[in-house]
Amino acid sequence: MTATRADRIGLLVLPGLAYLGLIYALPLFLLLLKSFRDATGAFSVAEFVQIFGDPLQRSIMARTLRVAFLVTLLALVIAWPTAIVMRRAKGGWLSLFLVAMILPMSLGVVVKAFAWSILFRTNGFINQAMMALGLTDAPVRLLFTETALVIGAANVFLPFMVLPIYAVLQQQDPNLPDAAATLGAGPYQRFFKVILPLALPGVVAGCAFVFSMAVSMYVIPSLIIGERQQTVAMQIARSFLFLRNEQLGSSLSTILLLIAVSVVLGSSWLAARLGARQ
Amino acid sequence: MLNRPAHEQRAASPAMTDERYLDVVAVRKSFKGVTVMDGMNFRVARGELVSLLGPSGCGKTTLLRIVAGLMQADDGSVILAGRNISSLPPHKRNISVVFQNYALFPHLSVAENVAFGLRARGMSKADAVQPVREALALVRMQDFADRSIGGLSGGQQQRIAVARALVVRPDLLLLDEPFSALDRKLRETMQVELKSLLRDRGITGIFVTHDQEEAMGVSDRIAVMNAGRIEQFADPSTLYASPATPFVMDFVGLSTRLSGRVTGQEGARVVVETALGTLRAPGGLATGTPVLIGVRPELIRLEGGAGMNRVDLVLEDVAILGSKTMLQGRPDGGDRLLCELAGIRNGKARGDAISFHWAVEDTLIYDASAEVTT
Repeated sequence: MTATRADRIGLLVLPGLAYLGLIYALPLFLLLLKSFRDATGAFSVAEFVQIFGDPLQRSIMARTLRVAFLVTLLALVIAWPTAIVMRRAKGGWLSLFLVAMILPMSLGVVVKAFAWSILFRTNGFINQAMMALGLTDAPVRLLFTETALVIGAANVFLPFMVLPIYAVLQQQDPNLPDAAATLGAGPYQRFFKVILPLALPGVVAGCAFVFSMAVSMYVIPSLIIGERQQTVAMQIARSFLFLRNEQLGSSLSTILLLIAVSVVLGSSWLAARLGARQ
Repeated sequence: MLNRPAHEQRAASPAMTDERYLDVVAVRKSFKGVTVMDGMNFRVARGELVSLLGPSGCGKTTLLRIVAGLMQADDGSVILAGRNISSLPPHKRNISVVFQNYALFPHLSVAENVAFGLRARGMSKADAVQPVREALALVRMQDFADRSIGGLSGGQQQRIAVARALVVRPDLLLLDEPFSALDRKLRETMQVELKSLLRDRGITGIFVTHDQEEAMGVSDRIAVMNAGRIEQFADPSTLYASPATPFVMDFVGLSTRLSGRVTGQEGARVVVETALGTLRAPGGLATGTPVLIGVRPELIRLEGGAGMNRVDLVLEDVAILGSKTMLQGRPDGGDRLLCELAGIRNGKARGDAISFHWAVEDTLIYDASAEVTT
């Protein structure tokens, strides 16, 4: 039996598989294994029971999920109109938008975080503007708050929301809203019956990207709110680096991983269902 | 907006609104300072099938979009069945459109696509079932109700698009190049099918097309458009036999075409000097006028009698077109020499010296001094 050409082309995936298996899957697996063992090495879920029983851990998890949810929501609210405008933009304007989306990604989060601190400071630009407009009498505390974290993280992850939405909108036949209009659909119906359903796979993909990155982010919260308001990812780092508690760290990692995996699987299932007819 | 006085609208009798079922009055449109339509007037009677025929960029699609409400005119008005709809958005006009690419909703099934207009008008899902079934039966697609759009062929997609457009009982149906995505054989079948479908239901329809054969096949009247104007609006036979301008003559059908100059009058005829000899044509243009002479190729014979026009030429090309043969002479400048013979056995070959003969009455003549377009 000789291998067909298609079979041999399939071999090209081997280096990538080997790389991922060695560098990603294996250590992750070992980490996961550790989370189900106690200090003596026997199988145990005691660490999980303890984590979910601890009010502090629970509040950290709740904050992590809340922040990830709000970051995703804020990114979506900003990304949708941006993607709509990009879809209508042509030539130079479109290139400008794409550069504006991609260029900030090359700027490290550290630089951005310190730039934001100038904005968010008590006597920073935002507070001065709000006071000048009479929105507030005294400076509002922004730095080291969850609000600042949500705003900052949404900024970092925005391209991951805009680009998938732009991609699906761009594939949409521009005649479809017109066809809907001539069939008697008003602007509201055109949006909810045609434009949105067709864009949903992109929206779902963008939300999945941003949520899974926001739920596991470490650098941004460390820089913006620091130690006083922990997230799960910061807890993991703390338990490995400072507490030397590998059980706690690996169990938290497992929880975080399960959240991320279920978000990704759930969203790809949803996207496949939504896209099935297209 | 140039609104018609209210009393004029009220005074319109039923016969008048039938005659002026769709009345496009003095519509102006420009894009980025370039005027594409400068005072367009266009009128369609109730139940009529009309084509807007012209090359790309002539403004036919612009006119269609303005009528549908997908584009706003800068000035002028659109009256449908005695009602000024100029300022109505598209979803309140009850004008259906069949788009060039059909624009079916890919996330909906065939039946859901057809039901879209009914549902948008607030009809319940249950109430829509029966009319959707009837509309699908009308286009012989009843067995495809639950299919997805992606798996349909071009002809099937077009049928669905037509069913979707008709199920809402539109006051007017607009079709934007509806056959251009179909192959030739299927196109001809669909044209016949669609024409009788619209005719049977008394639908007033406007086809937009750049294909003159299609326009002649499907419509009662054809508006030939060029550079934002209607050059001629007439039934297909008038358009072919008596084109109003050289543009119409060239766009609708083929023709022999010679340029010359009027050198004298003979009663109701003029004498024209061309590079290929002296010709006569009906009419009374003044001596010295530069003119364009046209003859339809099937009116040309290879033998003729006294009193007929005649040009001598050397055959450049003999094209066998199945049921007919096209003889082409050596062109000179903008001139063209075409003769169409029935059948394919006529023993003519490239290089033969022959003569074209045709009746003076069959000669088309245009004042070329006013003519700017080719």
